Amino acid sequence: MVLLYLLEKEFKQFFRDPGLPKMAIAFPILMMLVFPYAVSMEIRNINLVVVDNNRSVASSDLIQTCTSSGYFNLINICDDPTWAMQQMDKNRADAILTIESDFDRCLERGEELPVGIKVNTINGTKGSIGAGYLTSCVRRYYAEKSPRIQQNYTAGPQLDISSKYYFNPYLDYKQFMVPALIAIAITMLTGFFPALNIVSEKERGTIEQINVTPVNRGVFILCKLIPYWAVAFFVLTACLLIARLVFDYSCVGSLGLMYLFTACNILVTSGMGLLISNYSDNAQQSMFITWFFMMVFMLVSGIFTPIASMPGWAQAITYLNPMRYYADAMRAIYMKGSTLADLWADAAGLLAIGTTMVVWAILSYKKTT
Amino acid sequence: MIEAIKVENVSKHYGACVALDHISLGVQPGEIYGLIGPDGAGKTTLFRILVTLLLPDNGKALVEGLDVARDYMAIRRNIGYMPGRFSLYQDLTVAENLDFFATMFGTSVAENYQNIKEIYAQIEPFRDRRAGQLSGGMKQKLALCCALVHRPSVLFLDEPTTGVDAVSRKDFWNMLYRIRKAGVTILVSTPYMDEASLCDRISLIQKGRIIKTGTPEEIVAQYPHRLFGVSGNPAYPLLKFLRRSPNVLRCFSFGSEHHVAVSPGQTGREDLLKQIQDAGFRNVTVREINPNIEDCFMELAKEEGQKS
Repeated sequence: MVLLYLLEKEFKQFFRDPGLPKMAIAFPILMMLVFPYAVSMEIRNINLVVVDNNRSVASSDLIQTCTSSGYFNLINICDDPTWAMQQMDKNRADAILTIESDFDRCLERGEELPVGIKVNTINGTKGSIGAGYLTSCVRRYYAEKSPRIQQNYTAGPQLDISSKYYFNPYLDYKQFMVPALIAIAITMLTGFFPALNIVSEKERGTIEQINVTPVNRGVFILCKLIPYWAVAFFVLTACLLIARLVFDYSCVGSLGLMYLFTACNILVTSGMGLLISNYSDNAQQSMFITWFFMMVFMLVSGIFTPIASMPGWAQAITYLNPMRYYADAMRAIYMKGSTLADLWADAAGLLAIGTTMVVWAILSYKKTT
Repeated sequence: MIEAIKVENVSKHYGACVALDHISLGVQPGEIYGLIGPDGAGKTTLFRILVTLLLPDNGKALVEGLDVARDYMAIRRNIGYMPGRFSLYQDLTVAENLDFFATMFGTSVAENYQNIKEIYAQIEPFRDRRAGQLSGGMKQKLALCCALVHRPSVLFLDEPTTGVDAVSRKDFWNMLYRIRKAGVTILVSTPYMDEASLCDRISLIQKGRIIKTGTPEEIVAQYPHRLFGVSGNPAYPLLKFLRRSPNVLRCFSFGSEHHVAVSPGQTGREDLLKQIQDAGFRNVTVREINPNIEDCFMELAKEEGQKS
């Protein structure tokens, strides 16, 4: 009876809040419709300047190959390297492709191609990926041209490498980000709100009034958490639906498993929220602490950068990061169809961190000081 | 008869700051007991100990014979607490707040309507208004209703009249008398000395120590000096002059008058008047007055200060 009434009160307050219900709706929409595009690591629109000293059919073919790849914006074709360099200095060019004057002759003879690539690496990712694209364009061009040319010469052994991308055949970055963005959305929602809610009761003094009633403290806290669990599952469902309806992505693995991992993750974030609310006296403090941890969790979660490419010490830290396990599991289930048997390590990680958080939160909570 | 509230030798400190220094007091069932003292005297700390929100460092506190440290759950069912700051849910309506607190105590508003009827009737027209949008006086009435809705036998009111206008304060005290009639024991704290005389018994508290306990009449009767109300121009130099005067024991400014304490039988009204006029002050009046609680408090606080 008391529990139901407490829950009713929490839901009433939630829906009466001028911002919270709108947030719960807007958050998954924003996460699913805007961020898959925004956080894309695909590099497009690389501004390219070509210095063509050859001006032959062969060189214009190469330029054609590069621009038709769709990654480059051809700014200009010139024959003055200084002008091209100036364009890069002014940040108008991201890459310069230099074609030397003996380009067509070298191609005919099957010699090494005299081609130079310069990239602007102010934005490191754009630079290195741009250089990669440009190199592969030149290679593709050479592969297309050389068999015809090489017929005139002794045929050497040919390597035919074809790559196949498993689980995401078109290397669609959005599909890769959808489960990770769900992980971020759920962690943020269930991490921030319960802590803020409890701390605001502290700030307004209402918790004093509750503490002098015979209501059990555990029941009170539970009623604070349940509404946000409901919100989390609502957001998860909404995100999956949006991904399905808008991008036509569907979960390869079991949906039930996604909900199970979400429940495990909620254990962690709720425990953390309680812990933070125990140690902070006002909303600002709890907001800042939560924000700090969320930032760290996200950056070393493997969502944006692969954990395997981090230095050893950073990799060690990620074992303490619940988001690492959650994001990994969500991606594996969503894209690969992994089962609980495959993901037991992630589940164990989440449960271990979650249990620690909850126990610590209970121990650090003092009813009377 | 067991005392409704019994405090024995209770101390509490926050770090190096002593909030309560060996406090003892007893409250009889059915009386309005006032805790009178300035801000920072330790009133709220004592309240928080008695309503089981804080544990004392040492000493013993009993409410209705139950120990605050051990039987806190039983105490919570039997007491009503109204903190100094409005602490109901501002985003819930008047009726929802009342329902909520009734349910938290395992009862319902309907069951206890008689108990709160008189006070609730005044805010019932606004039952669907959110608590945050009520005026100060109405918030206070709502808080009182919420504290009474489960029929507590002891009511704790921490500075209930702070920041409330004079008319509402009078109203509020009338409500307290009606609550007392139903047999509820009331412990009330206030920084306003004039409210002390409205209580059945009071304790004067300062710097975490009780400096005097008794009925307001007893305390006033024990005032040891003769007291004059003195006014004259210019007022501030007059105060300084009186404080320097050899036969004046204490002198405090009370609104437009200075209260001047002298030893009985040493200085008369005429002597004092002549002294002041000789010193060149204009429009001087001197009249004999009865001491009030504030005079007593100042006297006792001074004595206490000299002792330590």
